[in-house]
Amino acid sequence: MATLFERVFKGSDEMVERAVKSLEEVSARYSDDTAVAFPDTAYYLPCIYAMTGEKVTNVGELKNIMGWIQSQMTREKKTHDIFTSGIGTACAAEVIEACKYVDGQTPYDHAPLWGHCTDAEVRELGVPLVTGDIPGFVVLIGSAPSDEEAVATVKSYQTKSIFVFLVGGIIDQVTRMGVQTGFNVRLVPEGYDLWAVSHVISVAVRAALIFGAITPGDYDGIREYTFKRVNAMVNAYEPVDDMTVACGAGAISYGFPVVTNDDNDMWRVPMSLIVQPDTTKFVETSLEARRIKLKVTNVDIPVNYANAFEGEIIRRGDMQIEADGSRKDCLELVRTRELPEVEDHKITLIGPDFDEFEVGAKINLATIVEVAGKKMQTDFESVFERKFHAYINCIEGVMHTGQRDMIRIRVSKSAYEAGFRAKHLGEVLYAKVKGEFDAVVDKCQVTVVTDPEKVTALRKEANEVFDKRDARLLSLTDETVDQFYTCIMCQAFSPSHVCIVTPERLGLCGAVSWLDAKATNELDPSGPCQVVPKTGVIDENLGKWEAVNEAVAKYSQGALDNISLYSIMEDPMTSCGCFECICGIEPFSNGVVIVNREHTGMTPLGMTFSEMASMTGGGVQTPGFMGHGKHFIASKKFMKAEGGVQRIVWLPKALKDQVADKLNATAKELYGIEDFTSMIGDETVAEDPETLVEFLSGVGHPALGLDPLM
Amino acid sequence: MEEFMLTTLEEMEAETAKLLETGQKVGADSWQQRAKNQGSHCKFGEEGTCCRICTMGPCRITPKAPRGICGCDVHGIVGRNFLRFTAGGAATHSDHGREICHTLYLTSEDGNYKVKDPEKLKKIAAEWDIPTENRDIYDIAHEVAETGLMEYGKPFGTQRFLKRAPEKTQEIWKRENIEPRAIDREVSCAMHMTHMGCSSEPEALVRQSLRCGLSDGWGGSMMGTEFSDVMFGTPMPQDTEANLGVMEEDMVNIIVHGHDPSLSEMIVEYSEKPEMIALAKSVGAKGINIAGVCCTSNEVAMRHGIPMAGNFLSQENVVLTGACEAIVVDVQCIFPALGPLSKCFHTKFITTSEIARMPDSDFIHFNSENAGENAEKIVRMAVENFPNRKKDLVYIPKMKQKATVGYSYESIVKTLDTVTNSFVDETGSTRPLIECINSGVIRGAVAMVGCNNPKVRHDYAHIELMKKLLANDIVLVLSGCSAQAAAKAGLMSKEAKKFCGDGLRRVCELADIPPVLHMGSCVDISRMMVLVANMSKDSGWDINKMPVVGCAPEWMSEKAVSIGNYVVATGLDTYLGVYPQTKGSSKVDGLLQGGLKDWVGACYHVELDVDKLGDSIIEGIEAKRTALGI
Repeated sequence: MATLFERVFKGSDEMVERAVKSLEEVSARYSDDTAVAFPDTAYYLPCIYAMTGEKVTNVGELKNIMGWIQSQMTREKKTHDIFTSGIGTACAAEVIEACKYVDGQTPYDHAPLWGHCTDAEVRELGVPLVTGDIPGFVVLIGSAPSDEEAVATVKSYQTKSIFVFLVGGIIDQVTRMGVQTGFNVRLVPEGYDLWAVSHVISVAVRAALIFGAITPGDYDGIREYTFKRVNAMVNAYEPVDDMTVACGAGAISYGFPVVTNDDNDMWRVPMSLIVQPDTTKFVETSLEARRIKLKVTNVDIPVNYANAFEGEIIRRGDMQIEADGSRKDCLELVRTRELPEVEDHKITLIGPDFDEFEVGAKINLATIVEVAGKKMQTDFESVFERKFHAYINCIEGVMHTGQRDMIRIRVSKSAYEAGFRAKHLGEVLYAKVKGEFDAVVDKCQVTVVTDPEKVTALRKEANEVFDKRDARLLSLTDETVDQFYTCIMCQAFSPSHVCIVTPERLGLCGAVSWLDAKATNELDPSGPCQVVPKTGVIDENLGKWEAVNEAVAKYSQGALDNISLYSIMEDPMTSCGCFECICGIEPFSNGVVIVNREHTGMTPLGMTFSEMASMTGGGVQTPGFMGHGKHFIASKKFMKAEGGVQRIVWLPKALKDQVADKLNATAKELYGIEDFTSMIGDETVAEDPETLVEFLSGVGHPALGLDPLM
Repeated sequence: MEEFMLTTLEEMEAETAKLLETGQKVGADSWQQRAKNQGSHCKFGEEGTCCRICTMGPCRITPKAPRGICGCDVHGIVGRNFLRFTAGGAATHSDHGREICHTLYLTSEDGNYKVKDPEKLKKIAAEWDIPTENRDIYDIAHEVAETGLMEYGKPFGTQRFLKRAPEKTQEIWKRENIEPRAIDREVSCAMHMTHMGCSSEPEALVRQSLRCGLSDGWGGSMMGTEFSDVMFGTPMPQDTEANLGVMEEDMVNIIVHGHDPSLSEMIVEYSEKPEMIALAKSVGAKGINIAGVCCTSNEVAMRHGIPMAGNFLSQENVVLTGACEAIVVDVQCIFPALGPLSKCFHTKFITTSEIARMPDSDFIHFNSENAGENAEKIVRMAVENFPNRKKDLVYIPKMKQKATVGYSYESIVKTLDTVTNSFVDETGSTRPLIECINSGVIRGAVAMVGCNNPKVRHDYAHIELMKKLLANDIVLVLSGCSAQAAAKAGLMSKEAKKFCGDGLRRVCELADIPPVLHMGSCVDISRMMVLVANMSKDSGWDINKMPVVGCAPEWMSEKAVSIGNYVVATGLDTYLGVYPQTKGSSKVDGLLQGGLKDWVGACYHVELDVDKLGDSIIEGIEAKRTALGI
């Protein structure tokens, strides 16, 4: 019987041998200076970069890195040696994968194989990881005993909101069974060969680089971060060969337990290498091994309910019915009532149910959630309401977009056939509102209305409510409130980052407004959002207060002692890594460029989003770069110290369109400029500084005439 | 966050030097000085070749005089001395156990001593076929205690706890004729065998040494441990602190020192009483601080998180701080030097046991009946002594480290349960540890025990060996002064995982344990016997084949030899850093360091070079792994 050590060493050697062979093949066809790069990442070959700090950009450098990989293959009978060999194996696997991307090749077409995940995709996971909406990752390797079981296991993980990666035969098993895959449904088939597993490790180590601000090359720092903060797991179906055991050693070194049903020459290690002969118990066994506790939401509906379904897309052909606010009156609304006015868990349907409409019908739909509670405040209504999007989207077979009276809800045929009806929308909203906001919501009832006349009447009423709320929001400025809030929800991943949330500056992830923070504080007074009194003003223009600095010092555990809320140059606020947008100084125009996560193209700074994003994050102050939420772009406090929004010289077109109304209004109010966004460049105008400045001069952009930024 | 650092030996020695300066000021003596005064030790004594058993002698064996007057050769003399040494240790531990049995016999619902762990009591009763159903817990306690007391003198049969060993081990004991009978009998038998004109055959003398040792480890000590748990609670993990910095400048410091928890438990209890704290405040102190030295310290740290001021060779240092109001002692390992030393300060040196009477002490006889009353008297004496402190003599070194203690066998199993997977594993066993060893993530385990000895730089061997073994993924269970050496240095802190190899480090992180596990006082080496017995049962490996060994790098006492003998006889190779007084006989030495392998599958290994000792432990463990095919 081969020992665990012998198996790992043998498997590592095999992977290295294959890497050497791949490199030989590549060398035969390409010169040493041919580019090697994964798309849309600022972290080179992430596994290798994270562990060594080496930036591999071409074939020659890729060959050189083999020297380091081989140096990791030490052969003493110590766990250290199987750990370094295991991580060396993962890096060798990355070399094999990188060979496929030589010279700009695109080996994976996402149909279904995914290969490399971009930085934007990794960053997108930041918020759900922090909130626990994605409690972990799993990679399934090999083939399940049957197609049916493969699907059952994948679905089981999905319903627990675990992000699933697939490597090997199980990919065909789930595609044969017609399961939707892709990053949006959190089920990503990586590749058929074992080395594709390096793309999963790549995601894990980038979490450490992006959110943890671990220095590339800090070998133990990366491992400590992944062990403590990245809830990943490996499930390996029999037969498990030596190479898989070697990869498993790497996974275990990173802190990820391996669960397998292969008992041959397998050596159990508590919480790390677990033999579970019953593959139907892989999910529960793995979750316990990684000590993942799930947020339990028991929603009484006939279809699955989980975070994994949030990104699901329902096409017209698959649609049973649709509520489309742009065509028919629709709305969703939260109202605060007195306690006696609400009957807890009462779900009422007014109008016909889904089965009374024709297939493909466009219907009217209003969902009114009435809540009552001693600690309820009307300010929280919009906080709850904004969550409806996520709540409804998590229903398998239901898609939701928009808010207020501009919503669109599609119910798929399969959900309908499974028995999903109007009242189930009520069940979901009841369960989630009651579950998440139980500290302020004592009672909750939901009314779903499909009767066209009633909905039209309700829409009028609702609009009055929305108008009132908008007026209240407009009156909420940094000047009119006497307290701000901290938000340290991200600290599970980004231990020294602190957001200061003000009415005019929401959290950089875009998910926490001042009202959200206020509600969070109310719900959990010792939780992540703490009151920061607006006292001890130091410099109002820069946005500096003594109390803010004290809070930042306290909640960053001393990592920071000073921040300016309104400046990008002097002690700017830090970022965790999951920011929606990144803003950076464009020196030629004296302005700033903002780019959002979704934009993959080049910016006039000569850097993509990923590259700009990698300049900051992890709770580190980087003057000249700042992560922020989309809504902050139109804020009067956006780099107010440096002259405000008139510094914005470039935005991706899609983002510009999204923020145009508000941004134009702010520019009009502050500087009297009409149609300011027409003066802002985008990728259709320029992707380099010279062309941009030419354009800006042509339109007379105000930034050109401002004081130099640097 | 500040990086975790160990307290180095140099730092500790610098502080000791400062304390010795205070000592010089007041004209105090010190063990350092006395060791110097002794000069080089008598070679005959060191090698065991001096016979003082009758008045025809003393006879000393030299090349010119190869036999004593009676004709006994060097092997007989060395063997007899070795057996007497063992008997001294076995008697000491076992008598401690006897005291505990007596205390258990006197427990009552409203008495000074109560049953705190009835489950453990019932478990032992069941092992001993003592009925428990529908019985008052104190009835059970008294019957168990009496049965235990009978183990000391029963005319027939062998020790009851032998049944706890794996069958294979029991067979070996039977085969080798070393199953211990009544405890007192084994000690008496040892004395008898070594009387003038009895045994002189080295094999017979060594064999009885093993049997006598086993009567301690699987008899007296085991009862001492088990019944202490019944009365004072089975230790569970808790946090404490260690080293001289645990003494408090503005509080009344009472140091408990010795071995028997019956005394220290009461002192702890009474020092927490509101009226005592009020009394302390009335004399200008902020409160009462109890800290321990030696195995008493281990006992109260394990059960109450009482801080550990130091180990055997630290005992004078606590007085030298000038801030010790009272040093309260019971039995064993107490320097008679404490009497004169305490007179140089305001410190009250309070002896409490008829077993350990010393000059220059206040004797307050402590027994089960008057325990409460006398504990109060002692605490009061200490508190009232606070104003007598000479402020200009007070110097408390700032050094202290965090430690997590309290790993009884039961709490080790509970801790192991936390790393099981409920979809695969059963709980309540040592299997997770076995899996770690089997897979090689942990290479093996070392039970590091024993004293300090001025022949070895204080704590150097303990700490250096521990660091070396941890770095090699070898887990450590500790007891006695070895445990305190680790705690003082910081190795018993969970943060000390950084000194471990990757495998052990990960185990520490997953199980949330420090890399060295504090199993208790020196009698608690019986806990280690229970641990290896159960590991053997859970793994199917014979004890003498497991990659688990014992080590006593700075040992000095007779008890240590008794322990060594039962540890080896149980099947664990035992590594010593101080030579036993057997060097004079190639036969006795040859048996101990080799021949015993044929009897019990394990033997002693002596190596005075600490680094080489570490290497040979690692080699020994790896050889056992290879033999097992793991």
